[in-house]
Amino acid sequence: MYLTAEEEKILNGEKGWAYEVSMKILVRLGDLFNADRLIPIKSAHISGVSYKTMGDAPIDFLEALVKADGKVKVSSTVNPSGFDPDYLAKRFPREYQERQTHIIDLYKRMEVDTVLTCTPYYLQQSRQNWHLAWAESSAVVYANSILKSWTNREGAPSALAAALIGKTPNCGVHKAENRQPNILVKMEANPRNEAEFGALGIHAGKILKDEIPVFERLTNFTDDDLKQLSAGLASSGMTSMFYYQKPVAQNKIETVSIDGKGMKNAMESLSTTKKPPDLVFIGCPHCSLKEVETVAQALKGKRVKSETELWICTSRHVKNIAKRYVDIIQKAGGHVLCDTCAVVTWIKNLGFNTLMTNSAKTAYYAPTLNGVDAILAPLKRCIDVACC
Amino acid sequence: MRTITLKGRPIVSGHAEGLALVSLKPISFLGGVDPNSGILIEKSHDLQGKNIAKKILCFPNGHGSTVGSYVLYSLAKKGIGPKAIINQSADPVIVVGAIIADIPMIDKVDIKQIETDDEVEVDGKKGIVKIRKK
Repeated sequence: MYLTAEEEKILNGEKGWAYEVSMKILVRLGDLFNADRLIPIKSAHISGVSYKTMGDAPIDFLEALVKADGKVKVSSTVNPSGFDPDYLAKRFPREYQERQTHIIDLYKRMEVDTVLTCTPYYLQQSRQNWHLAWAESSAVVYANSILKSWTNREGAPSALAAALIGKTPNCGVHKAENRQPNILVKMEANPRNEAEFGALGIHAGKILKDEIPVFERLTNFTDDDLKQLSAGLASSGMTSMFYYQKPVAQNKIETVSIDGKGMKNAMESLSTTKKPPDLVFIGCPHCSLKEVETVAQALKGKRVKSETELWICTSRHVKNIAKRYVDIIQKAGGHVLCDTCAVVTWIKNLGFNTLMTNSAKTAYYAPTLNGVDAILAPLKRCIDVACC
Repeated sequence: MRTITLKGRPIVSGHAEGLALVSLKPISFLGGVDPNSGILIEKSHDLQGKNIAKKILCFPNGHGSTVGSYVLYSLAKKGIGPKAIINQSADPVIVVGAIIADIPMIDKVDIKQIETDDEVEVDGKKGIVKIRKK
């Protein structure tokens, strides 16, 4: 891989250990994936925050980077944490709170914007053809497919290294030739709501693995539906992107079909129980302003049951601009939580056993990552079940 | 004693000698290895209950969360990391872990030729593994 004189100096430790080790990570990964050089990035999004998911694992390394005075070189954000400071924090042991706060503080000291969300694209719109280094696979697929930005699926350390250097290896979907669709998915039945878009993602992700699909005949969708499709694809497969409009001038490629029966099976396989939920969760990935508004509208004149909790998870940024919807949700007995979500917190420890959600990604992960039963249903049904 | 020399691809430079601990299954460091002891804790893994500390750890590749790289760093910092890593085919989690933890690493080695408790010498710079069969 070609390195500039400046990059060589960093690699040789002239700028300190934090940058040396970051450069080593980028150069070695670049070599492994046949990159020709490093390219500048506009932003980084870093995973590896939730104390629930990782425990103490990242603390030693992050502390070493901070001690070596590592600071990010580009606009950088981080994934959600194990709890929000207002509602959930006090329900966990002090030790959890201290460790989680410490991890967030280490990122802060590296000048990462600790906004703690999986939807960084609502904070800072990324543009077409911008090169990024994002971890959080749902955001990666959304960025490549809907925003038309260019990012590989980074891991926690490689996104952090890219943030510290401000560059990423030029490989994978940073190269136009690797962004071509190579499988056509013929939709014989259109998903009818966001839950079905997510279920389609989980189903297709299992079939496609790391291939880049083009979904043919998808109609009547919103950006929020495509967000669910992105999250589903990213969870069960290794793809970095998809197309939802048939690209012009396309070589003949392999074709698969998904019909109504396939869609129905995909939906049904993501529910593990018929029991009533004790937690209803909307906000995986974190809610857009539009989704918070939709929840507020659906809750009008309703009241959340006393035996059920309703969580709406979003970023602090969206919560701030959605104030009047947040008020409606809270008056109806729902909780609008920032910085966290049901998957990255300890819902089992809070006494929840059955989670209902409109997110196929959550329904896919919760039984294993959280040890709870899951029910997948569209937003309106979730709100109806949560309320009297 | 029979000696075999294998040539792989150098990933992280450095020299190490020790006893091999060989697995034919991928290892997930986040959740699969106890960060306080170095004992492999993943259920029904062929190394379950074995300690990877100070071993020449041979396994096909890593899998699971990319946070696994940080676990390798913490193990090494506590002095209970592997002395070297030999993989069949390197993946980003293990590569990054070996880089940040400064653990010599080689891949593209046929690990089936190595058995647990063989004496192994690793030259991470040249990508050479010398095995003295037990």
